[in-house]
Amino acid sequence: MNQLLLVAPVLLPIAGGILMLMIPEKEARVHPIFTELIVLASSAMIWAVLFTGREQGNGAVLFSMAGNLKVFFRMDGMGAVFSGLVSVLWPLATLYAFEYMEGDRRGREFFAFYTMTYGVTLGIALSGNLVTLYLFYELLTLVTFPLVLHDRTKEAIRASRKYLYYSIGGAAFAFIGLVFVLIYGSTADFTLGGVLNKGVPGFDTNVILFMYVLAFFGFGVKAALFPVHSWLPSVSVAPTPVTALLHAVAVVKSGAFAILRLTYFSYGADFLKGTWAHYVVLGAVLVTIVYGSTMAVKEVHFKRRLAYSTISNLSYVLLGAVMMSAAGMAAALSHLVFHAFMKICSFFCAGAVMHQAGRNYVYELDGIGKKMPVTLACFTIAGLSLTGIPLFAGFISKWNIAQAAVGLGGIPGFLAAGVLLYSALMTGIYMMTVVVRAYFPKEGYDETALDGVKEPGWRMLTPIVIFAAVILFFGLYSRPLFHFLQQTAGGSGI
Amino acid sequence: MEQDFLLLLPIFFPMAAGILTLALAKAKMGRKAKLTVVFGALVLELLFTILCLMRGDVSVTLWQLTDTIRISFHVDTISRIFAGLSVSVWLLVGCFAFSYMSHEEHEERFFGFYLIVEGALTALSFADNMVGFYVFFEVMTFTSLPLVLHEMTKPAIMAGLKYLFYSVAGAFMALFGIFFLAGYGAIGSFQAGGILDASATAGHEGLLLASAFMMIIGFGTKAGMFPMHGWLPTAHPEAPAPASAVLSGVITKMGVLAVIRVVYYVIGPDILRRTWVQTVWMILTLTTIFLGSMMAYKEKIMKKRLAYSTVSQVSYILFGLSLLHPAAFIGAIAHVIFHSLVKNTLFLGAGAIIYKTGKTKVAELRGIGKEMPVTIWCFTLVSITLVGIPPTSGFVSKWYLATGALSSGTGVFSWLGPVILLISALLTAGYLLPVTIHGFFPGADYDYGSLEKREPSALMTVPMILMTMGAVALGMFPGVILNAASAAAELLF
Amino acid sequence: MDFVCNFPFFSIILAMFCGILSSVLKGPWAKRLCLFMVTAVLVMSSAVLAYTMKTGTSYTYSMGHFPAPWGNEIRAGVLEALTATGFSVIMLLSLLGGMSHIFTDVEETKTNLFFILVDLLMSSLLALIYTNDLFTAYVFVEINTIAACGLIMIKQDGHGIVAAIRYMVMSLLGSGMFLISLSMLYDITGHLLMEPAKEAVGAIVASGSYEVPLLVVIALMSVGLAIKSGLYPFHSWIPETYGYATPAASAILSSLVSKGYIFLLIKVFYRVLGYENVVSSKVINALFVFGLVGMIVGSVKAIKQTDTRKMIAYSSVAQIGYIYMGIGLGTKAGMAAAVFHIFTHAATKSLLFISAVGLYEVSDGKADYRSLRGSGYRNRAAGIAFAVGALSMVGFPMLSGFISKLMFATAAVQSPHKMVATILGLAVSTILNAIYFLRLVISIYSPAEREYGADMSHQASRKLKVASLLFIIVNLVLGLFSQPIVNAIDAGLSMFV
Repeated sequence: MNQLLLVAPVLLPIAGGILMLMIPEKEARVHPIFTELIVLASSAMIWAVLFTGREQGNGAVLFSMAGNLKVFFRMDGMGAVFSGLVSVLWPLATLYAFEYMEGDRRGREFFAFYTMTYGVTLGIALSGNLVTLYLFYELLTLVTFPLVLHDRTKEAIRASRKYLYYSIGGAAFAFIGLVFVLIYGSTADFTLGGVLNKGVPGFDTNVILFMYVLAFFGFGVKAALFPVHSWLPSVSVAPTPVTALLHAVAVVKSGAFAILRLTYFSYGADFLKGTWAHYVVLGAVLVTIVYGSTMAVKEVHFKRRLAYSTISNLSYVLLGAVMMSAAGMAAALSHLVFHAFMKICSFFCAGAVMHQAGRNYVYELDGIGKKMPVTLACFTIAGLSLTGIPLFAGFISKWNIAQAAVGLGGIPGFLAAGVLLYSALMTGIYMMTVVVRAYFPKEGYDETALDGVKEPGWRMLTPIVIFAAVILFFGLYSRPLFHFLQQTAGGSGI
Repeated sequence: MEQDFLLLLPIFFPMAAGILTLALAKAKMGRKAKLTVVFGALVLELLFTILCLMRGDVSVTLWQLTDTIRISFHVDTISRIFAGLSVSVWLLVGCFAFSYMSHEEHEERFFGFYLIVEGALTALSFADNMVGFYVFFEVMTFTSLPLVLHEMTKPAIMAGLKYLFYSVAGAFMALFGIFFLAGYGAIGSFQAGGILDASATAGHEGLLLASAFMMIIGFGTKAGMFPMHGWLPTAHPEAPAPASAVLSGVITKMGVLAVIRVVYYVIGPDILRRTWVQTVWMILTLTTIFLGSMMAYKEKIMKKRLAYSTVSQVSYILFGLSLLHPAAFIGAIAHVIFHSLVKNTLFLGAGAIIYKTGKTKVAELRGIGKEMPVTIWCFTLVSITLVGIPPTSGFVSKWYLATGALSSGTGVFSWLGPVILLISALLTAGYLLPVTIHGFFPGADYDYGSLEKREPSALMTVPMILMTMGAVALGMFPGVILNAASAAAELLF
Repeated sequence: MDFVCNFPFFSIILAMFCGILSSVLKGPWAKRLCLFMVTAVLVMSSAVLAYTMKTGTSYTYSMGHFPAPWGNEIRAGVLEALTATGFSVIMLLSLLGGMSHIFTDVEETKTNLFFILVDLLMSSLLALIYTNDLFTAYVFVEINTIAACGLIMIKQDGHGIVAAIRYMVMSLLGSGMFLISLSMLYDITGHLLMEPAKEAVGAIVASGSYEVPLLVVIALMSVGLAIKSGLYPFHSWIPETYGYATPAASAILSSLVSKGYIFLLIKVFYRVLGYENVVSSKVINALFVFGLVGMIVGSVKAIKQTDTRKMIAYSSVAQIGYIYMGIGLGTKAGMAAAVFHIFTHAATKSLLFISAVGLYEVSDGKADYRSLRGSGYRNRAAGIAFAVGALSMVGFPMLSGFISKLMFATAAVQSPHKMVATILGLAVSTILNAIYFLRLVISIYSPAEREYGADMSHQASRKLKVASLLFIIVNLVLGLFSQPIVNAIDAGLSMFV
């Protein structure tokens, strides 16, 4: 039963999505209900496993591709965090999508792939070995690319092409890391502390490190690591539910998640710590943070600005990850969770503004706060949280990351903390300019231009408000969650 | 530790009142009714605070944020001084604002945030540890932002953003230090003389000093210390006059409070004495004092001139703190209060002039003393205080600062400091007294025919008069303050 | 000797006989006969495969009962049987998929000729697979060449003729080199049968005499067959040939014909020259380098094409490069990977050619990017099939391409000197593959430039759809259940030694 509960939430949305493509296009009203039912069913299963049987669950082998290429699911601490996260976000985001996508010509296709993506993301979360992870990682590219392509405009086509090239290219390098783990690891299953077996003939530390770096950048593509980040701002042409959920959470977090898996569960933090590879990846992460937040300040397109913000914030997660310590991993996981809520909330707000007022650029947002007070209030909360203002969730995770960085010590630790704060400042700039503009329009702005603009309907507003509430909640009360994360990072959370 | 939940009242009551006021924006109430609510809140807040301050050294833990971070409050001498100062000034300036804000829009928003900031200030004064302090420091920044933005003109918005970014940058620099010192026990409760775990810091002195320096610079931003002073002359003048007054008079002092907490209550003065941090810090403050005065002297626009003056004067305080000497410390604490009263009065005076005549430039103020005698009298008296002419209060604090410097044993700074203080005092006279002189003695060619009485209402003049009296009287009877300050200093040194 | 042992011989003869018989039949009947023949070969090869798997040994079978050293022998082991089975499956599906085009592309009077050529091709491929003596191999190499030329030309437009001439020239060059090396080998060993020849080669190497001639033999043999299979830089004939032939022919040529030569080369390496000798001769390093360069250059050229047929053809150049790279690694794992990739590529490339045709059918028969826009909607089966093929080429997990990529990488890790180059080559080539294949996938799902009437979607032939789906299944089987096949390859390679 337990095994079935692990496999079913992955397969159900995938099958459901394929099935949906068979429902006639005309039955437009059926699609959302069908989608929500499937999504809720999967989430319910995940919660069932989370709350009841996680301890006894030994995992489930779906099938075996060849030899040790098993497709294997298991819910350990990290899997619980990620699957729990997406299982909360997805039903709400789907709700938002209903209203947002109303009247869209390709609604069916959209919801079909949207549902499939859920299954695939859960597959990543629950994967018990690197092979399974890689499989779903590739599948993720495949099922999300139709969503980017959705509008079929020139821009969308170009963006989806870029997205595919980057993702596949990244996977090609990640693949190398996979091969090395298969050969030099004692097992492909995820084991905290790594699985490398130095007894395998031909074990050459430098080569393995090189391969780790390649794989890091490979998976880093999805996590929008500089210099392989540039697909992320481009794909913001996709409909907002996609940019919000996929390109701020599911897809990019999968990249970060994969890197965490690779680092802590396959290669092993102790093996990497203090090596040149460690400093290479640390450097890349720091550069990304600086780059992402600086570009976000320069960008005036609302959604693209948020996309750049995602770039830098993902690297916060990675920054935690490359501390190569239990504290770092716990910090990374905490930011992984909190950033998901912050970014999805801010994207949904941006989407609501685009949907209701048709404003796409930051300089067009004058006075919007008067017309859509709830949306903008939630956006402000998300913005303050992203900036890392205390009492919001973002502060907690940044504090954790910084403490991990201090724990690393030396120049790298100093640099990391400094970069974190520089980026926080930039975050303050790019988020707060929006807020200030929305609430304090310059004198003489045209008030009539916003006539008729009003708050979106309950289906869009509910998720936004819930996410904002979650941000506040975690800002004030994150201790049980963080204890759980620490346990996970310490290895006792399985 | 015994929990005294009464401490939370002066923190959260004004915040709640502020939110209520914001909510009143849409209510169909008369202006008077709304202002009564605000006034009531300000008075109650004053009472609550005094009540708390009289309860002795009590503390309360509000919330355990993470395993290491606690949000808790505690009252000590420094808290009393800062909290007492801010709530009293808040009430007086509030009264002034009731009249002044009548020619501005969105009054509810102004008073709403005005009250919320007051809560944040009290929380800062009561904060019991570094992170809790940092939390409310940020709250203060974000809630005071609408005060700067209030007029919503393009320059106001640009100034608001500049204020925001400098503040956030400063706060993050401070946070950088907190990150690094957290491991050495720096996020525990404040204690006079420092709380760092000496065994843990051994061997990490470089890191420790760098962190301390970052925190001083970071928190110094709010106090307008060079090189992070740039926001101050832009932001203060753009706000409505009552807001400028409290920004300059009180909120900058919270930067000072932060530095006091960091240097004297977390790191401990002994660790910093005769290190590069102290030296650089002294250089920066002296530079700020000099530059601020010079810029004020050159400035033509009244409120900007006052803002530069703030830059210079707050650095007097920081200079006093940087000497790490008891006498200088007492002088600094005294100057916190005196300067606050003086600068509030000055800004209110400038505000009253703008309110009545719309004149903003110094050169336009010829003969103003004839038109608004009470206002300009107050202005004159506090100007003299600020210059430091005995027997006003400014003289007392500067005396302590100078003697502290001379006996601090900081080498060249022990005499350079007093010299610069003196030069700056001359400049202060140079930039403030012309207002008085031209105001009362407009010269022979002045057209007395067009002169009309424009004295503002009692709601505006009374707060000015009260504060002026305070500033002058405390110069003659400085005992209360000096006693409190030396009580605090005794614990420290 | 069991009756099953006759099957290899029967299948070669059957194919040849059907070819002869077809010359007096009309087109449709020739078609039926041909399909019957391929099915029969499939059944017989599977039987042989089952038999050899069961016995675990190979056997030789002399044709015409001439005793060694002059006899014509065939040999059947697991690998031979497996290859024969795989080839007949692909052949069957390719014919099925391209069937309707055979009858439109080829003049009515000549349709039976097409099937004659296919029959002959099949017979020669089987012979190349099963042969156990070099002379038989040479004979069938030539038959194969002629049949292939015929298939290229049979469309009878200008492109076809030019392509056929190019192919002829290159191919004959290859055959010539093969023949020369054959003669030299005969000269120094005195044998044409593989087993005695190998013994003789072993003796020569041991004695240290004839070092240079042996090297030349190895080099000429490799180069000759490399030319014929289109290894970079001898690939210039490929794009035209594959690009302009009738679809069934393109599929067969690209997926089977060139693979037959590669299989022969592997067999010669193992069974005649001795794999250790080849590895120590360094010729293998040349193969490795050219394979690697081919992988990259083929893909880069493919990116530049606007005509999708040529693009797919250039992709073949890259894929052949993969196979030679695997051979060039000089390890058993590398060889196993190469053999597996022969199957992968055969299955995938024919799928691509066939499904691409399905897309042209609904785009006024045009093959350039622009015209293909939206064709994925007009012919869903072909669209999906093409996408699957493209993803397999890119190495998407669960598809065959992933397994071969994995095998290549795993093999590379075990040969330290070539590791980094191989692995980076694989990664880069994956990206390049992604660029041109997925670009096309995106464009077949982007909105068309003009409205196509509803009748367009009816132009797609049903057989093609069925073939596409079957190809997808073959690909999935190779991707998901590769372990038995990999085991069989390992067993077969062990039998070679």
